[in-house]
Amino acid sequence: MGQVIVITSGKGGVGKTTTTANIGTGLALLKHRKVVMIDADIGLRNLDVVMGLENRIVYDLVDVVQGVCRLKQALIRDKRFENLYLLPAAQTKDKTAVSPEQMKNLCGQLKEEFDYVLVDCPAGIEQGFKNAIAGADRAIIVTTPEVSAVRDADRVIGLLEAAGFEEPQLIINRIRPDMVKRGDMMDIDDIIDILAIDLLGVIPEDERIVISTNRGEPAVADESSKAGQAYRNVTLRLEGENVPLMSLDVEPTLMERIKMLFGLRAKK
Amino acid sequence: MSQKMVVIKGTRDGISIILRRRSDFETIKNTILEKLQKGGDFFKGGEARLLVKEGHISQEEMEQLETMLKEYGLNLKKDHPLYTISFPTPPLPETLILKKTLRSGQRISYGGNVVIIGDVNPGGEVIAKGDILVFGALRGMAHAGAEGDANSIVAAYRLQPTQLRIAGVIARPPEGKSAVPQVPEVARLKDGVIEIEPYYLL
Ligand SMILES: Nc1ncnc2c1ncn2[C@@H]1O[C@H](COP(=O)(O)OP(=O)(O)OP(=O)(O)O)[C@@H](O)[C@H]1O
Ligand SMILES: [Mg+2]
Repeated sequence: MGQVIVITSGKGGVGKTTTTANIGTGLALLKHRKVVMIDADIGLRNLDVVMGLENRIVYDLVDVVQGVCRLKQALIRDKRFENLYLLPAAQTKDKTAVSPEQMKNLCGQLKEEFDYVLVDCPAGIEQGFKNAIAGADRAIIVTTPEVSAVRDADRVIGLLEAAGFEEPQLIINRIRPDMVKRGDMMDIDDIIDILAIDLLGVIPEDERIVISTNRGEPAVADESSKAGQAYRNVTLRLEGENVPLMSLDVEPTLMERIKMLFGLRAKK
Repeated sequence: MSQKMVVIKGTRDGISIILRRRSDFETIKNTILEKLQKGGDFFKGGEARLLVKEGHISQEEMEQLETMLKEYGLNLKKDHPLYTISFPTPPLPETLILKKTLRSGQRISYGGNVVIIGDVNPGGEVIAKGDILVFGALRGMAHAGAEGDANSIVAAYRLQPTQLRIAGVIARPPEGKSAVPQVPEVARLKDGVIEIEPYYLL
């Protein structure tokens, strides 16, 4: 039997959907796992766009729980990985179209067949959040290095703990090493200090995320993307492998290089 | 070991059952039964008296005991006054000890002192009638002496609150990024102003 993992954050726009798409694709790509991703963001679906599967949607999550179609009929197979599936959200309904009980049933059914069921949670802590976590065994919290995002992550961790989740794991997204270095951005230690949970990975800010999102091909499969590399590491860690955090050192600037050439150590 | 939960004594005109109620009624019944069986014919027939030395036996439980004893040929004498020492429910402890990190959106409100073994994160709130002690980082809001006690204090291993309140006085840290304190600190009211000093000066 597989496991259900919810990807959640509290604050919107921090990278839940990006993370879901990349981990899902990563598990299929690197480990040939059978994976289904559920877009639980009813009314604001976009996991299908990020996966480049928008034009294949016939049925959606709400159709399944309302018995309009069978579960199998609503699952969309990925373009490239035959083990990877998407259950899209409905675009014309809202969060109340599904109940936590129904989500629980659905996840229960899916994990009979898949190794991983990844649930892309909507922003907020209301009904959509409650639905998304209802059937999950584990949780991944996504945050960015901003005070407000970390605050919301903390709130969500509290709610998850109250709901019986034992050890949520953290992904810090959109780190900009240059800003951290200048002291203009919270660094990883600051964030872990407050949230006090396990770190699953750190994803750098990377314009290739934007490019790959527009193309509908998650960056995890892109060898030249730093964020892609970070997501490959996250995937391996999820599978229990011990991968060290990748170095996010900033490349020395031209000036620093010249100084180094002249034996004047670049200041750290 | 302390005194037994059930003691049965043979007396001139029957038996006495001395009860100290420390468990559920089923267990008590079973214990009595066991003892009676062990005693064999010795306890058979005659009268039984019940002495409740700790706790309380309800009317209904009394009737159950009566039936059980009757099967054993024992007649429960009810004229004997029930001897009950009822223990007062212990008063609310003065100090609530919480081993947990209070996260954003979580709030503790208590009519006594509060000790937190963990952090209080930004967006978390602790409100106490008495003192507040945090064995961790206090980054959220703390209100000591919430019912007006101006002698209350707030102390923390790392005192970095978003806001502090003692009785009716509110204080917040100066604007801008302040350095993390390197020692435990205590906040208290002096002449109507909240003052913060290192804890070891206490
Ligand atoms: N590491 C990154 N580098 C650059 N851009 C990123 C990165 N991660 C996410 N983004 C961009 O940030 C935007 C928001 O990401 P995404 O849609 O994954 O967030 P979300 O948490 O799912 O949002 P919502 O709460 O609306 O569902 C997207 O445009 C995405 O391309
Ligand atoms: Mg999203």
